[in-house]
Amino acid sequence: MIRTHRLTPYLFVAPMIALLIFIFGYPIVRIFEFSFKQVRGIDGPWVGLRNYELVLNQPLFGEAVMHNLQLLLAVPILIFISLLVSVMLYERVAGWRLYRTIVFIPYILAVPIVAVVLKNVFQFNGPLNTALRSVGLDALALDWIGAPSVALWTVMMVIIWREAGFGIVLFLSRLLSLDEEILEAAELDGANWWQRLFRVILPQMRGVVEFYAVISVITMLAAVFSYIYMIGRGGPGTSTMVIELYIFNFLTRNSLPGVASAVSVMLFLASVVLIFILFRLRSNAMEADLA
Amino acid sequence: MSKKTGLSRRDFLRSAVALGAGGVMVGALPALAKPARHPQSALLQSRPTLNMWWWGEQELPGLQRWLDRAVASYEGAQINTLLQDTSVVISQFQTAAAAGEAPDIQFLWNGIYHMESVWFGYLEPLDGLVSQEVLDKSGATALSFYEGRQYRVGWYPIPMVHYYNKRLFDQAGLDADNPPKTWDEFLNACDRLKSAGITPYGGGIQDGFWGEWFFGQSLVQSLDSPSDAINLFIGDLDFREPRYHECWVRLRELVDLGFLNDDISSLELYPGIDLIVTNRLAMGLSVGTRVPADNALLEGDLGVMIMPVFGEGALAGKPLLDSQGLGISSQSQHKEVAADFLEYINQREWLDAMWEITGWMPSNSDWDSSVIEDPLVAKIWNEWNLGDNIAYVPNLMPAQFWTDAMFVAAQAIIAGEMTGEEAGEQNARIAQEWRDFNPDLVENYQIWAASLA
Repeated sequence: MIRTHRLTPYLFVAPMIALLIFIFGYPIVRIFEFSFKQVRGIDGPWVGLRNYELVLNQPLFGEAVMHNLQLLLAVPILIFISLLVSVMLYERVAGWRLYRTIVFIPYILAVPIVAVVLKNVFQFNGPLNTALRSVGLDALALDWIGAPSVALWTVMMVIIWREAGFGIVLFLSRLLSLDEEILEAAELDGANWWQRLFRVILPQMRGVVEFYAVISVITMLAAVFSYIYMIGRGGPGTSTMVIELYIFNFLTRNSLPGVASAVSVMLFLASVVLIFILFRLRSNAMEADLA
Repeated sequence: MSKKTGLSRRDFLRSAVALGAGGVMVGALPALAKPARHPQSALLQSRPTLNMWWWGEQELPGLQRWLDRAVASYEGAQINTLLQDTSVVISQFQTAAAAGEAPDIQFLWNGIYHMESVWFGYLEPLDGLVSQEVLDKSGATALSFYEGRQYRVGWYPIPMVHYYNKRLFDQAGLDADNPPKTWDEFLNACDRLKSAGITPYGGGIQDGFWGEWFFGQSLVQSLDSPSDAINLFIGDLDFREPRYHECWVRLRELVDLGFLNDDISSLELYPGIDLIVTNRLAMGLSVGTRVPADNALLEGDLGVMIMPVFGEGALAGKPLLDSQGLGISSQSQHKEVAADFLEYINQREWLDAMWEITGWMPSNSDWDSSVIEDPLVAKIWNEWNLGDNIAYVPNLMPAQFWTDAMFVAAQAIIAGEMTGEEAGEQNARIAQEWRDFNPDLVENYQIWAASLA
């Protein structure tokens, strides 16, 4: 047997680790550095915590944070819809493969296309309101994207419509991998459909549901920019301003990369904390299950 | 700047592009009808390669064709052009300049949209570089100057106008040859139109640009000089004074009187203008570049007017003119050649070619406008381009004020969620926030205001 130095394996993986540090580590370090500078162009003078102070004192930043938190309400809705539809498809109703494809289509459409089309649908005198008025439902013909009190909910609907496709396919693939013998055993033991769903199926899906929840939370916090930008650019007024758009405005429109970096750092840290909490909860739950 | 030795990757790519483009150009040369220019200086005869980043095809279809022809027939240099995306015109140039990689010639929007690059030292003053005659006649407007030095050559004009539909005016019994000039006349016209079942005024504000146009055309009525606008941003004047938020009060007045189209909040700018051209809206904000096509669609029943006057500032009631332009990077190794190209495209044949190819006029006052057949377009040339025009003040607006104050206030007022007075308070607060975020720019703004006064 050939004996190797204990550091030899590390040397083999060192190039890949260096590459990963360069790809992921370097930008993060630079963003942290920028957040303490008043950057014009690609560098600038050190200003300490000034960027953080300015951002935290700006009411618009608070509004953006609140809107992101409001969008988190979409997460349980997404999970519920995805579970409902995937379980229905799992029952293998006639044509379920076709339905599976149909519900996944929104997810593979590019967000700008989805946003432009739905923005047209949601116009005050657009197809949706025309249809509502034609059946006497004038009170429901809202200014979906033009009224500040409604616009964020409209954006949320669009996000749910598109993102649910991923959840459905994810859950369905987990359902299709379940051990059918357990379900048959439950059925032989006299469990009805609801009992099988809540006592057998859902407990086995816990892992994938938690994974989807984490992904959805990250989406609502840090990946809704394309929806927001394409639908209303933060408006009407400030009603759909979110943290990502706030960062975008400071980076590209206000030419203040330092401020944009400060907000990015805060968003990054908030996401890390949130993900840590979610994984911790999951870990505790798994330990409890094993016990 | 560090000195490079050997053949860098950038030089290699540049040479490859130049060779490729040169090959294409050699093939295309015989087909070119326009006479080529023969630059005299030894520098030009060495035929350097220049990079030009530009924008404009997005708002003036055909400009790419015009530029391709101009570049191909210009013998002083090989010019590689790059059409920029709208969202990165400024940031792409500034980032490249910060890295020492700026193009030789850069498209520049007017006012603050290029002035920050002036302050960062990325742009070269054109005085003494481009001929004074071209600088004077190119139509760059006063907002291209800083401390008495000019940084842009005008390219094509953007007259800011108000549209009105003559057919709808006739239907409401209004005199289509005499559109309203004062605010009272305007409100009276709106009332008559509304009584006739016609939506009087509006457009589409969903993307925010209608708000900019309204703010630009109405705030100016309360100003005595473009420098007043800068003074509002730097805090020497105050948006909370009634005079300086009267524009918002007037907008709210239109909302309260029910004169705006009901879908203004959910429509974008251009679909909103289309309402006027399709006889569904009587009056609204627009831009001169649309006039030839829109008047043709309305078979001559389109009218243009200056925004009816409510303000008492010295600038009230005057036509607003903006223009697109080009400048030269301070990092260019071939500034004289770049200047020569800017002079070249301001020659008569290329000014005429712009009209022929794009259907829109160049901003150079030397252009022979006798080719204009549409009297409405001729009116714009004579009154907006050659007349006693004033600069478009939103070009003095800091970007943060655009996104956080103007965009927000205009939409909130139209949604009925903000009054004119509240908009004044909000504008003053955001102006203060901008000063807090950009202490390094305030002094530059002060100098700029002094030179514009």
